[in-house]
Amino acid sequence: MSENQRIIEIEVLRYNPETDKEPSKQVFDVPFTDDMSVLQGVQYIKDYLDGSLSFRWSCRMAICGSCGMMINGEPSLSCETFLRDYYPARVRVEALAHFPIEKDLVINMEGFIEKLESIQPYIIPKEARTLAQGEYLQTPAQLASYEQFSSCINCMLCYAACPQFGLNSDFIGPAAMALLHRYNIDSRDAGKGERMELVNSEEGVFNCTAVGYCSEVCPKHVDPANAVNQNKTNSAADYFMRFLTPKGGAK
Amino acid sequence: MESYKADVVIVGGGGAGLRAAIAVAESDPALKIALVSKVYPMRSHTVAAEGGSAGVKLPTDSLEYHFNDTVGGGDWLCEQDVVEYFVAHCNEELTQLEHWGCPWSRTPDGHVNVRAFGGMKIERTWFAADKTGFHMLHTLFQTSIKYPSIKRFDEHFCVDLVVEDGRVQGVVTIEIGSGEMALVEGRSVVIATGGAGRVFRENTNGGIVTGDGMALAYRHGVPLRDMEFVQYHPTCMPGTGLLFTEACRGEGGFLVNKDGYRYLQDYGLGPAEPSPRNKAMELGPRDRLSQAFWYEQQKGRTIEGQHGSVVHLDLRHLGEAKLRERLPQIYELAEQFLGVDPARAPIPVRPAVHYTMGGIMVDGLCASPLPGLYAAGECSSVGIHGANRLGSNSLSELCVFGKVAGEEAARFAKAAAGNSASLLKQAQAVEQRLLGLKTKTGGSERIATLRKEMAQTMEDGCGIYRLAETMQATCDKLDELKERFKDVNVEDKSSVWNTEWLLAIELEYQLDVAQSMAYSALNRRESRGAHQRLDGFEKRDDENFLKHSQAHYVAGGAPRIDYGAVKITKSQPGTRAYGAAGEKAEQERKASNV
Amino acid sequence: MNKRRPYVRPMAGWWRKNPFFVEYMIHEGTALFVAAYALILLTGLVYLSRGEAAWNVWLEGLKNPWYIAFHWLALAAVSYHTYTWFKIMPRTMPPVIVGGKRLPDMAITGGGLAVATTACLALLGLVWGIAR
Repeated sequence: MSENQRIIEIEVLRYNPETDKEPSKQVFDVPFTDDMSVLQGVQYIKDYLDGSLSFRWSCRMAICGSCGMMINGEPSLSCETFLRDYYPARVRVEALAHFPIEKDLVINMEGFIEKLESIQPYIIPKEARTLAQGEYLQTPAQLASYEQFSSCINCMLCYAACPQFGLNSDFIGPAAMALLHRYNIDSRDAGKGERMELVNSEEGVFNCTAVGYCSEVCPKHVDPANAVNQNKTNSAADYFMRFLTPKGGAK
Repeated sequence: MESYKADVVIVGGGGAGLRAAIAVAESDPALKIALVSKVYPMRSHTVAAEGGSAGVKLPTDSLEYHFNDTVGGGDWLCEQDVVEYFVAHCNEELTQLEHWGCPWSRTPDGHVNVRAFGGMKIERTWFAADKTGFHMLHTLFQTSIKYPSIKRFDEHFCVDLVVEDGRVQGVVTIEIGSGEMALVEGRSVVIATGGAGRVFRENTNGGIVTGDGMALAYRHGVPLRDMEFVQYHPTCMPGTGLLFTEACRGEGGFLVNKDGYRYLQDYGLGPAEPSPRNKAMELGPRDRLSQAFWYEQQKGRTIEGQHGSVVHLDLRHLGEAKLRERLPQIYELAEQFLGVDPARAPIPVRPAVHYTMGGIMVDGLCASPLPGLYAAGECSSVGIHGANRLGSNSLSELCVFGKVAGEEAARFAKAAAGNSASLLKQAQAVEQRLLGLKTKTGGSERIATLRKEMAQTMEDGCGIYRLAETMQATCDKLDELKERFKDVNVEDKSSVWNTEWLLAIELEYQLDVAQSMAYSALNRRESRGAHQRLDGFEKRDDENFLKHSQAHYVAGGAPRIDYGAVKITKSQPGTRAYGAAGEKAEQERKASNV
Repeated sequence: MNKRRPYVRPMAGWWRKNPFFVEYMIHEGTALFVAAYALILLTGLVYLSRGEAAWNVWLEGLKNPWYIAFHWLALAAVSYHTYTWFKIMPRTMPPVIVGGKRLPDMAITGGGLAVATTACLALLGLVWGIAR
């Protein structure tokens, strides 16, 4: 190993559902170099110190969305958070906040997946088009209007940053709402009317109290808080449109 | 043990698996589909593809050009009838993705834009900034939610195929969350589990890219074809191997050595022009670029870094605005991981393993020799990549052949007889074997140690340039590792989220796949595409080796390697040249055809 | 038998766990001062409706040092509320496109604060003018 290698303490919140009543801390001494991520630190623990440590990871480059963890209390992608930024202090690693812990750093994300499935995250076409007719035309400006909301990698850091989700896990939450918004404002889509019901519902946007931390921690600059809050306006407009139009609902 | 009855089982939830699932659902909504994936689909490694996806689009382009680029790029080891089908269906599939919502980058008038890519004569790479794979995967995943007949088994790890009466009839899975095993029956099975790049040390691949599906098919007698052809991508992050897309060069980036010299002009890729011409210099094919790096390193003209020699990927002349628009992810990777601002400093890069050209042997309809078993995507060898894949052909492959595999598997499932009654017994035997791996005590080999030794020996023996002696050493080392694996120790005995147990199973897959690569390489006594030798076999040898290698699994021993014919329809093997030499060769070919 | 037993962490004291949440709670807390001051003005209006004598009693009351101290406190709280309110504003509205480019968040926040400051100064000037 190289000369510039040092030892950092990594404190991990462990939980084994088969033996533990509740999670507890465990500290590991991990040799590290300047270019090592927290993920690599945790991998070192699994490879050489304790094979039973469980966590999700894959791409190592902040695009697959697997490796979200609380690092010193902040929701972070462990692959793009570096140990050098904490040394010589101890770095504290826990499973993403506000989600049930399955084991160690692995959270239960079934609820998130159900939400993602519930928003109809696909194009409901404005006009049918055959493949032979080629692509829909979409200007760069039209693309730009929704592009940021399509950049969500489903890492769920925003849920770990949202106290309202922590207090009420039924809240549809930032990422799912960003994705809903992404389809609603896509120039090819006409599904807004169908999706509004969810926006207006008890699980919908009005759970949000504009804390704004979700957008702060988003590693992909999606700004989910913006999607949620724009839909508060949409929801209010939708509510009043019901009185004004015979069929009701904003289209 | 739980069991679930589907009509079609798809293993792998990446681009190919999702496309296959949608194809089954669309071909017959009554068919029950089980989509088994060891991760949630949007985590699949398709997500990391950056540059783009090829499909003829511009009026100046033609299917023939795409065909020629692909076949020549593959050093004529391609199935030409399959390539012909492929190039004819790329555009349609990418348009389909557009209809499903993929945010392709656009021209000012609203059409899908295309960019230049290595080894491609005309710009034909569709792109969504530099996150093309990410957007394609999420589009496919989100679209798949529309189809009620697709039942997903997310975070279910496929551990074996169930084969009876000479045909595949389902798979055995571990539900990772509980550690419980289950039998998922189907009358046909599509494998779409991706590549095996993690058997090498420095690679661009995610941790999940462990060749699972290849090993599953292989152990059931299906040959792995052309496994010696492993692609080194020329521009990767030193140490981690993370990818800097070819689109960096497609947008006009330079590769320079320690003297700031665009060294590719010394390796038959010149002339060096201010912006790289298609199929020349930085837009040459990946195998040639990685090989040029190796020679520069031999000549001492590379730069010494913390993680070995590097050259510089220079994007400074493109300017920050263009970089932020076209290559935003690359910009952030360089800033965050390397502390380099690519608009102001060059990015240090070196080649790393990126892609397995070979895979499960299938015909043009994605059918393997085992009835009922289909494969698509990187895990398969449908025959379009030959000895070297062109960048942006693989994302298109996922769609074109994912769809074919889905439709064919649906057709097979409808025609097939019902499943045998005794499948559960087979599944229980699999369960006993794998539980044994976890519950046994007294093992002394660490998983990580075996895995690292495997990755190191693969790099040593099966790298960019190869020698009989080192390849033999790699084969011997792999034999030794397989022996030592019998003594592997799984510390974690628990059931819930026991990822150590899964790592052990994956390692066993990897060792099988690595063996197929090393032995296939040792036996190919010529140089072609990504397989380059320096021990007296430096030339391509069409007389003896214009054929596909086929590695057959031999339980407890070395694989048996034999060879199959290459389908040649309209492009006879010629000189593979790029840059000015390539243009000259093309003119000569044209002249001789008249 | 399924051995899963997901552990749900308690939420008690959540807002103390992160500086961002503390700031958020202060922002929400300062809203109480906005409400309190609205009440004070409302009371003044009630006194005004009862004639000049009543109004003067109310005015005298305001000169109490405790009341003046409260005014300084309320000014600080409402200023902080204004600042954090405009800080989060870009997150709550559709993008503003100017000349084909998206207006940066800083410009929206800065613009909002500038408008608020100008309005306050104008009001102050107006009242000053009337009072003289």
